[in-house]
Formats: sequence, structure tokens, C-alpha cells
Amino acid sequence: MENLTTRGRATRLGATALGLALLLVGTLWGADDDFPFGPFRMYATSNPPNEPAPDTRVEGVDSAGTVIDLGQDATGIRRAEIEGQQGRYAEDPALLREVADAYAERHPGAAELVEVRIVIRWHGIRAGRPTGRHTDETVVRWQAPR
Amino acid sequence: MSRWLTEPVPRGRVAAFRTLIYLFVAADLVIFTPWVRTRAGVPGALYEPLLIGRVLPLPTPTPALVAVIFWALLLISLLAATGRAPRLLGWAVCALYLEWMIIAMSYGKVDHDRFGLLVALAVLPTAGRARHGDSTRTEAGGWALRVTQIAVICTYFLAAWAKLRFGGLDWLTGSVLARAIIRRGTDLADLIAQVPYLLIVAQFGIVAFELLTPVVFLLPARWRLAMVGFFYSFHLVTIATITISFAPHLAAMTSFLPLERVRPLVWARRLVGRSAPDPEGSALPNTESDPRGADTQAASAAGSGETAPAPAGTGAEGAVPGGQPSVTGRPAGP
Repeated sequence: MENLTTRGRATRLGATALGLALLLVGTLWGADDDFPFGPFRMYATSNPPNEPAPDTRVEGVDSAGTVIDLGQDATGIRRAEIEGQQGRYAEDPALLREVADAYAERHPGAAELVEVRIVIRWHGIRAGRPTGRHTDETVVRWQAPR
Repeated sequence: MSRWLTEPVPRGRVAAFRTLIYLFVAADLVIFTPWVRTRAGVPGALYEPLLIGRVLPLPTPTPALVAVIFWALLLISLLAATGRAPRLLGWAVCALYLEWMIIAMSYGKVDHDRFGLLVALAVLPTAGRARHGDSTRTEAGGWALRVTQIAVICTYFLAAWAKLRFGGLDWLTGSVLARAIIRRGTDLADLIAQVPYLLIVAQFGIVAFELLTPVVFLLPARWRLAMVGFFYSFHLVTIATITISFAPHLAAMTSFLPLERVRPLVWARRLVGRSAPDPEGSALPNTESDPRGADTQAASAAGSGETAPAPAGTGAEGAVPGGQPSVTGRPAGP
């Protein structure tokens, strides 16, 4: 049996209490910014039973006119990150140029993107169940200066 | 309370948990959250550092920084999985993985699936040396496992709290699951979504489940294991319906399990010994009391497949293929 010293025990008790206190404060008043002590808010927002659900995607148009899916595999940027910064993109659509750059970085030979847009597909929901119908809405658009 | 917090556990359990967690870190880098590496190609303008990244202050990720952290973390975590230099290597992994996660979460989305893992990484260095198979009890190791368990249960309990804080009671009767299924559901989930009110019932069930998880600490040992088994099955359903794995949380949750009984390399050696001409059968007692080393080193070699500096001639190499799944497979999913 390997016992702790009095000091070792006290330090551990203190560390446990401090960690728990930070986590509680984070949960009660904190935000994601306080990582790793922020609130565990995965899927915590409430959506009314009949509110359409957004399915966000980023797509681009290259110089040949082809529409290209700019998902995580194409750019290294996760969908939730686009959604998390959507306000920034809406304020300054030119920021979408960074997404085009991230795409170019990963596809050196590909045709240049002349347009990048954030599109939300709104899926209908009734009584907490998907209806199977949807509409697309372009919320931010950036076009390369010609 | 202090007794309970530092309830002693066999050193062998600490050793097994340590190996498993550090192998998981290596696996996380290349299998579970490989997208962190893509930060190298994402323009710095999209970097929005978290509070901790502004306070410290950490540099904006560049391709070189991301590459250096990736390779250093991969190498050091595999070394740490051997159980050598538990403090030096343990603190190094803890610091590097925290920075890796700050990079991961600083582009507009914070994940909530790894608080338990971060706590495990922060406390494992304090557990001291521990040999595989050693049944000596340790309070320092007991504390490390206990606070990891608390972190895991906090993840559930406080998630319910967050739902009430951000969603309110309406969360229960809302359409959050329907939304999750639309955004990332599987065919199975699409089938389930057809059943009237089932998703709403599931929402009540989730909050009840999360609020009740602290009960796990009040149960006798056997029922506690059964309840942890139920936790794993909850995540199995989550993976099967909305493809959310929570892998780091699942790895941390092994802190509830009697891991010292899982000896993949000993079992594999026993199998090899049975088929090999060894009429005395004398190898077994020796392997059980084998000084820390062959067991863990080979496990790390199994995890890396290339980089671990396992000394040749330990006799464990042949056992590696059989031993690997039990060690690395557990965190992958229930």
C-alpha cells in the first residue's frame, strides 16, 4: 500500500475543489470561449417543434462555371466552424476569400474559384419530425473582383 | 470525502489506464480528430483564439507550428504509453495536447467531448510509477482515476444543466433531435424519426439519464460496472443514429473499469507459450511478475507500428498482433 503524505492529500483535495469550482462557474455563467471549463452545451439550444432546421454548406464556383462543394475535406474548415463564424462572414463577405485560399492551398492544380457562398438548406419540421421538404437560401456570397 | 477521493487502486490499473490513454492520444491525432492537422492550410485570418489562447498568449498557428506539435505529440505520447518517466513525459503530453486542442477549437467551434480526457492527462503524471500487473495499492493512483471519473460524470450531469440553461424546459419538447438527424443522421435515424413522438420521448430520456449519472458513485462495484456498460451503450446508439462518437470521453470513461485484469500481452504470450514446446510451462509466473517493460513497450510498438523504440529481443514482438486490439480497441468505441 502506497499512502499519500498529508501535504500530497491536501494538494489533491485543493486541486479537485478548484477544478470543480471552475467547471461549475463555467457551466453557470461561462461560454465556449472559456474552454476547457466552458458549459457542456452540445445540442443544448432548444428548437421549437415546428421550426425548420438549417443544414449549412459552403460551395464555390470555379472559372469554368462548375459548382464545387467546399466541405471539410475540400478546405479543412469544419461546417460548424463556418456556422460559428457566420456573423463575421455576413459582415465582411470578403472573408470568404480565405475559404477560397484554403481550397487553393489543398488543390494546387484546380481552377480558380470566382465565387464562394454559404448556403443554408432549410428542412421542414412538424411536431418534432422532418417533413422531407426543404428550401435553399444563400446567406453570404463573395465574388472575385474581375 | 478525502478517503473516497483517494481510495487506493492497484498500481496495475493505473499502468493499464496510462498506457490506454496515451495510446488514445496517438490514435486521436491520426484517426479520431485528424482534421486538426488541416489547420496548417487554413488562413490565419480565420483564427479566433479562445480566452486561454489570448491569456497565455499562444501564437497564431502556422504550418510549421502545427507540424512540430503533431509529430512531437505523436512521438512523446507513444513513449509515455510505455510507462517510462511518467512525470516528464506525462506533463509534456498534457501541455502539447492542450495546445493541440486550443488550435483545434479556435476556428469558431468548440467541442465538448474531451473534458474527461484532458483531466486524465492532467492527473496521470501525479500518479507516479506503476507497473503492469502490480497489485500494490496506491492512493495517488486512486485519486487520478477518481477525478477522471468525476470529470466524466460532470460531462453528463452538467450537459443536462446546460440544456436547461440555454434551451430551457422547452428543450424537452423541442425538435433538437430531429434537427440533429437532418444534419447528420444515418439511415437508422431516418427510420426512427418516422415514429411519432419517439424523438420527444428520447429527449426526456436523455435529460433523465444525464441527471441520474452521479448515482454511479453510490452503487456497489458490480452494479457500477453495469451502469458504466449502459453509458457505453448510450454512446453506441448515438454513433449509430447521429454519428457522434465522443471517442475521447469513452477513453476517459475506462477509468471506471478494472483495467488491471486486461492483459493482452500476457494472454498472447500464454497462447504462444501453449503452442510452443515448453513442457515445464514455467514462463507464466515470470511474465506475471515481469518488471515493467516488455508488456508496455510492445503495446506502444503495436500502436505506432513504426516509431516506438521497443528494444529487440523482449520476446513480446510475436505477441503484438494479438495484443493490439484489446489495448487500442477499447477507446475506439464501445
